[in-house]
Amino acid sequence: MQKIEAIIQPSRLDAVKEALIEIGVEGMTILEARGHGRQKGHTEFYRGREYTVDLLPKVKLELVVHDEAAEKVIQAILTTARTGHIGDGKIFVSRIDEAIRIRNDERGDTAL
Amino acid sequence: MTRPITSVSTAAEDYRADLAALEVSFARNGDGAACLRRRTSLVDTLVTGLWSRLGGDTRPIALVATGGYGRRELFPYSDIDLMFLCADGRVESAARELIRNVSQALWDSGLRASTTTRSVRECDRFSVENFEFSLSLLDRRLLGGDAAPFGLLQEKVLPAVIAREAETIQRLLQKSLYDRYARFGGTIFHLEPNVKDAPGGLRDHHTAQWCTALTKIRETKAWPLSGDLSPDPEIQAAVEFMTATRCFLHLRAHRDDNILSWHAQDEASAKSVGLDSGGTADPAYWMRTYYRHARTISRSVAPLLEQPPAPRPFFARRRRKITLEGTPFVLADGRIDLEDEQLTIDPESMLRAFAETAEQGSRLTVRAESAISDALPVLNLHLPEGPFLRAGLQRILLGRHAAQALRTMHTLGVLEMLVPEFHGIDALVIRDSYHRYTVDEHTFLTIENVHALRDSALDWERRFSGLLDEIDRLELLLLALLLHDTGKASRSGDHTTQSVELAEAVLDRLELEAEEREIVLELVRDHLAMSAALRRDIFDPETLRALAEKVATPMRLRMLCLMTYADVRAVNPEALTPWKAENLWQLFIATSNWMDRNVDEERYHASVDPAVLRRVTALVPDRKEQLERFMEGLPQRYVQTRLPEQIRAHLDMSSRLGQQPAQLSLRKTRHLFELVLIAKDRPMLFADIAGTLSALGMNIVKAEAFANDAGVVVDSFLFADSFGTLELNPSEFGRFTQKVMDAVTKRTSVDGLMRARRHLHSLPVKMRVETRISFDDTASSASTVMQVVAQDGPGLLRTIASVIATLGCDIRVALIDTEGELAVDVFYLTESKRPLDDGLKGRLADELTAAIQTLRPAAALAR
Repeated sequence: MQKIEAIIQPSRLDAVKEALIEIGVEGMTILEARGHGRQKGHTEFYRGREYTVDLLPKVKLELVVHDEAAEKVIQAILTTARTGHIGDGKIFVSRIDEAIRIRNDERGDTAL
Repeated sequence: MTRPITSVSTAAEDYRADLAALEVSFARNGDGAACLRRRTSLVDTLVTGLWSRLGGDTRPIALVATGGYGRRELFPYSDIDLMFLCADGRVESAARELIRNVSQALWDSGLRASTTTRSVRECDRFSVENFEFSLSLLDRRLLGGDAAPFGLLQEKVLPAVIAREAETIQRLLQKSLYDRYARFGGTIFHLEPNVKDAPGGLRDHHTAQWCTALTKIRETKAWPLSGDLSPDPEIQAAVEFMTATRCFLHLRAHRDDNILSWHAQDEASAKSVGLDSGGTADPAYWMRTYYRHARTISRSVAPLLEQPPAPRPFFARRRRKITLEGTPFVLADGRIDLEDEQLTIDPESMLRAFAETAEQGSRLTVRAESAISDALPVLNLHLPEGPFLRAGLQRILLGRHAAQALRTMHTLGVLEMLVPEFHGIDALVIRDSYHRYTVDEHTFLTIENVHALRDSALDWERRFSGLLDEIDRLELLLLALLLHDTGKASRSGDHTTQSVELAEAVLDRLELEAEEREIVLELVRDHLAMSAALRRDIFDPETLRALAEKVATPMRLRMLCLMTYADVRAVNPEALTPWKAENLWQLFIATSNWMDRNVDEERYHASVDPAVLRRVTALVPDRKEQLERFMEGLPQRYVQTRLPEQIRAHLDMSSRLGQQPAQLSLRKTRHLFELVLIAKDRPMLFADIAGTLSALGMNIVKAEAFANDAGVVVDSFLFADSFGTLELNPSEFGRFTQKVMDAVTKRTSVDGLMRARRHLHSLPVKMRVETRISFDDTASSASTVMQVVAQDGPGLLRTIASVIATLGCDIRVALIDTEGELAVDVFYLTESKRPLDDGLKGRLADELTAAIQTLRPAAALAR
């Protein structure tokens, strides 16, 4: 099992979700996030006040999938989240030792 | 009652079989009250049977049912509250084993029993932390065992406790009601309501009954008779409906489930649960029936939800009643009552009473509400429309408690009478995964959210609350909110289109001015525009351009931003996260800045966009070429923010420039005056008008200066008549425009006029604003954008415009905005038709800073 964490532009969320559902991903966790990597923030003024946007709005997706599905999921995210501009986000992949369904104590792949 | 029980297991089997029979019986007759009686009887049999079987009858202990069980109102899967009442502490100690066995047997039989053991003396102790125990004793009932301790409790102990603590219990009861309402957002209109605990649920009915009982006990020092607590027929019908519904939910889930989920609503409506009609009902109709009954029950506890009246000033204490002038209503102890039932209610009085509710938060008494309800058929015949209704609605909408007033109007049928278009969304359930309330309640919440901004506690809320003061026609925004979702009644297609159609009908009746009407309709039409933009990249210039083009003016953008804030927040309590609010704010300021910085770039060309030209040409069909010349090269902002009739008027003025070098028009808007100048451009022209207005005592609130390709300027100034010169002397209009004309044509020295007003420059200031001057060369290819933020005051605009002119700069566009003492002025400047170089920008900044400083000496700022 692998955990895929993707930090993407909020505007790409709908497209990414649709693409993941299309390839059979049934569950995901979506979190509202803020942050920046190479894409730095900027400053806006409104009525003489300064508003610094140093942490930009992002959306974080978290999925745990079977090993064989991981690459397909990554490709789906890459294709749909990419605009070609700085700030498109990142994907992190890590191994998961165990998954447990709380309702019935199912474990392993079947718990996903 | 008691039947012999041979074993716990057989008792459990018998109980389960009886419960199954009860389910069949309810499915057949749908009688909730009978279902409660029957389950109470089943449990009585089981409890008393086990008590005897395990040897309880021989002990000096009374077996007492309390709470709902005591009232004989046991729902099919409700817990049972049982008290083992012992004569004294020794009996209690000796009976521990027996009580444990009985409790265990009850659980083994499938009953969820909450048992408590008390001596009679312990019942005499009152605890604030556990006031519910004393309260539950109001509904006590002897099941079996020794009657002596129960008699003592009934005759001596309990009357003494209640007499002593009734006031405290009532206060705690009121607090728990208040907390429960707060937990449910204070509304009955949940899409998937809890029929027991939600506002309008059965818990409300019991609270009302307990309060009535406690009041009777305090007043009469005796237990209330059963007739004293009988609710009126309307409440009785509502309770019967809720009872049947809760029975249905329990039997459907085979557990203590009180949530009326969408699936449950479908099933309940299919079985016409709680309805007399039988057969199959439409889920929407069934839910409307639910909300009608919930509203009835909720109204029975409404007086308990009111905060205690605020302390009254000494001079008001003698006058317990204040008449609402010209109406049959009086304000007494913070509530609006009818002075005399014989007096008739006319539309004006009714609107005045609701305005009082909206402004002061005063609720109507039941008597006043009934009188209004009774008067509706007559009021309907003399329904006010036009300016009268507009003024009445405006006053209500602008009141801080507008949502409360609107809810009452809605409950009484007044809102639907005045705005029949609202009827379609009455208690309307739209099923989606994010809305928590019915459409009408969502609408009221949006209005509540706008007013609540005035009491913002969080930083991110305060940003939005700042916008409130920047909107000069808040009533239009609130009216748009009232109408924005009325189209949802059609349940098909795009609801915004339907809402616009319905809003048009309302606005026709209110006879709004064309400009106001346009603002409301645009807000209703575009109320999802910012939410849609939030799903795109909010830092992408294309997103900002599209939104700016749709919204057209900074004022509408501010209104739309607040509308989006209020609308999202009214979806459910968690819908507007700080993350989303921050994004909305960033989108707002980015679009606002985009609008100010792109005015010079976005200019009108008939060859690119002939649609606007065609619309105006329809008004002047024989002057198309003249119109095209006039509009060519004017900023898009001008074209988008003027009605075709206004453009035609400006065209007429420009066509007279051959006879006179300048054309002026002056008109009064609702709150301000608007002066429009059309002339051939010349140096210092903008500065001279600004100076003249200032010298004549006018406070410039907003101004725009545009020019077309032919060098004709269209300048407009919105100003407040601070000293009432024009307001009080209409004959001054002619003299006023002549003075401006003299300044425009240089027949008068503007500096001379200004000198006469110098003394006003030392007026004290309330809020200190630091001067800030910034330049932007990226926004426009042809000009430099300069923004000046400064302390507003007489002569400021004249001073800035003079410095600009003195340094040889041309103003291509000016956007002047003032809020209180903050002036935010944006100028698009060129020098020899090119953007400014760095040296000139530096000189401009230095000289402006120095000139603005001279307007407000340090001494004035220090005060």
